[in-house]
Amino acid sequence: MQTSIRWTMRLAPVVAALLTPPVARAAVFIQCPAPLLTQNATGGSCGAGPCYLDPKNPAASSDPGCVDPEVVDPVTGKPTFFDTCKVRLDPVTGQPSGETTDPTIVCRSITCGDGHVNMADGSDMYVFGFRDVTNAPESLLAGAGFFLGEDGSLTGGAEFAAPTLVARVGQRLYLTLTNVGFRERPDLGDPHTVHFHGFPNAAPVFDGEPMSSFGLNMGASLTYFYDNQYAGTYMWHCHVEAAEHMQMGMLGNLYILPAQDGQAVTHGGQTYTRFAYDDCPTLGTLPLGTPDPMCGTTGYDVMYFLQQASFDPVFHYNDQTYQKLDFANMRDTYAMLNGRGYPDTVNPGVMVNSAGAPSQPLPAIPFTVDAQGVRAPLAIAQGQRLLLHLSSLATESFFTVTVLGIPMRIVGQGAQLLRGPTGINTSYVTGSVTLSGGEAVDVILDTTGVPPGTYFLYTTNLNHLSNDAEDFGGMMTEIVVASAAQ
Amino acid sequence: MIQTTQQGRRLFILLLGALLVLPAAPGRATVLGATGRTFTLTARADTISTGDGDSMWMWGLGLGGGRMQYPGPTLIVTEGDSITVILRNQLPVPVSLVFPGHSVTASGGTQGMLTREVPAARPGVPGQAVVYRFTATHPGTFSYHSGTLPDLEVEMGLVGALIVRPRGSPNQAYNDPASAFDREFLYLVTEADPVLHQQLAFSCLSAAGCDLASVDLTRRHPTDWFVNGRTFPDTMMDPFVAYLPTQPYNCAPMFHPGDRVLIRWVAGGADLHPFHTHGQNHLVIARDGRLLRTPGSAAPDLAVSDYTTTNVPGETVDALWGPWTGERLGWDVYGTQDINPHTCNAAPGSNFDPVSREYCPDHDKPLPVTLPSQSDVTYGVVGVGMWGGTPYLGVSGDVPPINPASSTQMNVVGGISFMWHSHAERELTTNNIFIGGMATMALIVPVGTAIP
Repeated sequence: MQTSIRWTMRLAPVVAALLTPPVARAAVFIQCPAPLLTQNATGGSCGAGPCYLDPKNPAASSDPGCVDPEVVDPVTGKPTFFDTCKVRLDPVTGQPSGETTDPTIVCRSITCGDGHVNMADGSDMYVFGFRDVTNAPESLLAGAGFFLGEDGSLTGGAEFAAPTLVARVGQRLYLTLTNVGFRERPDLGDPHTVHFHGFPNAAPVFDGEPMSSFGLNMGASLTYFYDNQYAGTYMWHCHVEAAEHMQMGMLGNLYILPAQDGQAVTHGGQTYTRFAYDDCPTLGTLPLGTPDPMCGTTGYDVMYFLQQASFDPVFHYNDQTYQKLDFANMRDTYAMLNGRGYPDTVNPGVMVNSAGAPSQPLPAIPFTVDAQGVRAPLAIAQGQRLLLHLSSLATESFFTVTVLGIPMRIVGQGAQLLRGPTGINTSYVTGSVTLSGGEAVDVILDTTGVPPGTYFLYTTNLNHLSNDAEDFGGMMTEIVVASAAQ
Repeated sequence: MIQTTQQGRRLFILLLGALLVLPAAPGRATVLGATGRTFTLTARADTISTGDGDSMWMWGLGLGGGRMQYPGPTLIVTEGDSITVILRNQLPVPVSLVFPGHSVTASGGTQGMLTREVPAARPGVPGQAVVYRFTATHPGTFSYHSGTLPDLEVEMGLVGALIVRPRGSPNQAYNDPASAFDREFLYLVTEADPVLHQQLAFSCLSAAGCDLASVDLTRRHPTDWFVNGRTFPDTMMDPFVAYLPTQPYNCAPMFHPGDRVLIRWVAGGADLHPFHTHGQNHLVIARDGRLLRTPGSAAPDLAVSDYTTTNVPGETVDALWGPWTGERLGWDVYGTQDINPHTCNAAPGSNFDPVSREYCPDHDKPLPVTLPSQSDVTYGVVGVGMWGGTPYLGVSGDVPPINPASSTQMNVVGGISFMWHSHAERELTTNNIFIGGMATMALIVPVGTAIP
């Protein structure tokens, strides 16, 4: 066996020579095989086909509002592109859906860098993070250089939580990451990555763990490719210098919708068309009437996602002010859901930081969003089932959460349906669930018989019901149950 | 931001030299340890090395009269055997051993709170011994540790793993064939507070013995995190290397596509450690030496798949990782024909080539995106990297030197690697030095590349 390895070593340089990349090319480079669907916000016609934006070549867009990124408002002198060219929004996340003219392809574009967010006690927090720029054509991304935001539209800076990534089973996700660099710590020169946490049968090239692959340098782009084949709750984060970058906020939600969404399955007297998992593996393959006890058990009416994370303000301050980082004494005092502490968690809108830039796009309550991005809280009607994709990316703390007054059924864990190897339903009802960093569960809250009212989801680590020294807030949000739908 | 002391930098360069030979012998098909029915263990003091360049005074167990090691020797026994463990003591404190999950009878020494203890060693006084006897009634993964002042003595290193193999089924974790594995790896996870070890070392300088009252365990604040007694990247070095004389066990999983990989997690410390396996979920089939199954079922029909499993203090978890095949990636993980000429002939009724274990429906599909140029990316972290030069399994490529001490790359066999690590990311440090702590890299090499 020693011999075979030495032989391979001699061969390595030969193979390497064959693989040397032949051509250099521009650093910022969006890779998406199909143009992005737009909302045709201008009201104009897009001919026979759908309205779309080609981010590589806006002139080839069918949406007239997307053709020329250089158009400037004669009064304000600012580009109007983002007013006239609006990509489609995901109805749950309120963020660009990444839908393209090819229903099997989803394209998202994000940047990574630093920024500021608002803590629920009103204090400012320096963070590392990502920002969704799916709506930006490649020329604007490249033209903005390392630091976005100069044009007044791509108001630069990281947002927290990171953009929520969503795809459906059977959809291929092309996720282009552009490293715009740190505005306040350019001395760090840090690379960044996307780690799709839990991706089954992963390949290191798209795993984002830089020891098994590589990190992306400032000023460059890298398109990650994920052929999504399995539904479930995953999560994503930067994996470069993870102890630092994750504490600093490079964390986001990620879930994959099952293939059986859209098909009607009746379970417990209710018919569902949306599910946490492909819980009917036999759907369409068994004769009608064949019983499958798991079928429809993960059906739901309303879905949302919650990610636990927590900040140590001392660590953030040290990073902002060029100080030595104290990993050993890391101690989180801001416990959050989707990047916010209570009561910010129940604000359906996009929060802005102290400089007025959008900083925290995701509330911790379900909301509705219209085509123009206007949001409103979404109540659950009594009798409906709420599915929560619940994950944790805390770097130091362990959090237990409960929902006061509504039992929690855990139907999935680790992006897998809770179903034993021989088909036993291993889901369970509980009053609380504990997550370590890197763990996730799928929780169904069944509001049958639950009186209308406001219910609280909060951490039972009660010391974390606080926003740092402010003895109120922290990891808590509200679930509003309305009267049964008529 | 990278923060590395000069000491740490020198260490990494040293380690890198060792890493160059990594493909030669990082993995083992089975867990390292001592086999048999009778074991003599001697509690002794010594020092270990940590990845920040520091050393730490420890109490540990040596096999026979040998040097102590951290963790203690992994005892590998067979189901049904009567096991005898003879404990001797050269420490200035009494020690004992408990074997959770087993019915133990102890003789000799003096009666302590949990079991019989060997008194503290005293110069000129012949050492006593305690004999622990138990029957290894159940196959599975277990631990053992000191039952005397366990909060202090386990922190100091008196902890080890016990593996009971099913009789007649050496390649299964349990008697049920659902627990069969191709390769198995032990992950005994612990943590330590170096300040406590310093305090105790000072308090034991007195000829009168250790002044334990001077060590305040309420201020225990671990800053070092270990797998099998080593911090990253020492975890990936060979076992039994001369420069880690008291830390003989490595943790460097290496295997082929399609292999069933058994992970035996033992939480030997006092804290929780969420362990994340990159690359693929793992199926938890047993906890504390018991298969997860319904009454009447022989197979683990209550097994749970997950990508992160929290190691709870005192608990053991057996999990089957993978198998990893690159199935359904949407591109040929072995490269297209122009890059790597190869065939894929699926077995009848299967999507996989029975020899290479390639997923044939993706055969010859190109990588769907163009990768950035080499100047646009940074390989590895602080000189530690496993990128083989291409995205493809079995195809090596050029990688620029990632460390001044390195003129070539570390992964020359075209393997692909995945980090398996604590997802409490703070634990990826060793006493404030990133990167270190509770992590290792699993390396997958193509079928045909021999694994030692």
